[in-house]
Amino acid sequence: MLDVALVSLIQDMSDKAGVEGTIEYWTRVGENMAKRIGKEAYVGWPSFNVALREGRTGFSIEGDVTALTDLAITDVDGDVVGYLYALKQCCFVPTIMRTRLSVGALPSADRAVAEEYNNSVHDIAVCNFCVIHEKFTQEASKYITVGGQVLDCLMLATRGFTGDTKISEDNLKKIGMNPEYVRSLLRNYDCVYAILMKGARLAEED
Amino acid sequence: MSEAKKEELTESNPFVDVATHLFLEDIADKQGAAGLNNYLMSLATSLARSMPAEEYETWEEFLDALRNRQSILSAFETITTPTDNCVVNPVCPFARGWMEYTKRIGSFSKIHSEVAEYYNSTVKAGAINSMCIIHQTFRRAAAERIHVAGKPLRVAQTAAIWSDGEKKTVPAEWQPIILERAGISETDLNMILRNNACVWVIYTE
Repeated sequence: MLDVALVSLIQDMSDKAGVEGTIEYWTRVGENMAKRIGKEAYVGWPSFNVALREGRTGFSIEGDVTALTDLAITDVDGDVVGYLYALKQCCFVPTIMRTRLSVGALPSADRAVAEEYNNSVHDIAVCNFCVIHEKFTQEASKYITVGGQVLDCLMLATRGFTGDTKISEDNLKKIGMNPEYVRSLLRNYDCVYAILMKGARLAEED
Repeated sequence: MSEAKKEELTESNPFVDVATHLFLEDIADKQGAAGLNNYLMSLATSLARSMPAEEYETWEEFLDALRNRQSILSAFETITTPTDNCVVNPVCPFARGWMEYTKRIGSFSKIHSEVAEYYNSTVKAGAINSMCIIHQTFRRAAAERIHVAGKPLRVAQTAAIWSDGEKKTVPAEWQPIILERAGISETDLNMILRNNACVWVIYTE
């Protein structure tokens, strides 16, 4: 109920503070949530991936996160510096469904906020909640170390409730991955992102 | 859509639950308890107003809709009705969010109970925390959208128990009138409170 109430307020908030104001609010919510969840440290990628599978990391708040261990990210020396991760169901789908069943369509501000975010910050949002989610993943990774290295998170692809998709070619280029690999992942996942060691020397794909 | 499928699709999601609580705390940091209270009330009223109005020819017809979760008042929560005027929530619809918060963040921020004190002293006594403000305001706003036999529905909060065991009943001077409308005694109320989360009354003038 709380989340449906919040959805009904997105329009009001955007009317009063503008879509930019809503983006600011959501960014702060994502940031605060990561900060409040706190720090974690893992000896290596296997222990991080096991913790993730067992729902023990900060990322587990998103729901069932799958570590795509067949899609490793390597640095210029060929060492594994990260992996791709994916959510079978976007963490906002239950809220969207509850809203549709009890109230009706999402307010028009949902689309307006997503579009403004895509134009001004990062072209990856398929709904207004992607703003909170991307900021959360970016911030949460800063509080986690694997083998003593701080992590970074790059949002790669999203699929919205109505089937629209977004693929971040810039982020894919950073990790040297072909967009077609990620496009096929969207057949089975709503959200795909990379978690990797911050500052790793990556080989960009040509 | 089957009930099981609906349940599966709308199952609570910790990310949104926790994010929403932190969003409310962020508002309180900037606007204090009074500002947060206004925000919560506006949130609940806005939700109720976004839902379709309801009209029933008889009280029985309304009760059927309420019991079958077809009314705004039971759209988000499970209810039982010990009498035709007394409604009980076996589980608070906000309990899961609180549990996710305490599991993933830590103890519930004090602002959630501070804002309830503000609400109790300035709006209507009966809230334990910020969630009760949303819930009780939503019910009042939703009731305004419901007419039974041409008369507007009224609701009155009676008592609530939060997940941590904290209990709040309406002021003693209101209780006899409310319990009479509910058709239960004080003993009945205490018995109901043993194993339920919230008790409220529905009636028309």
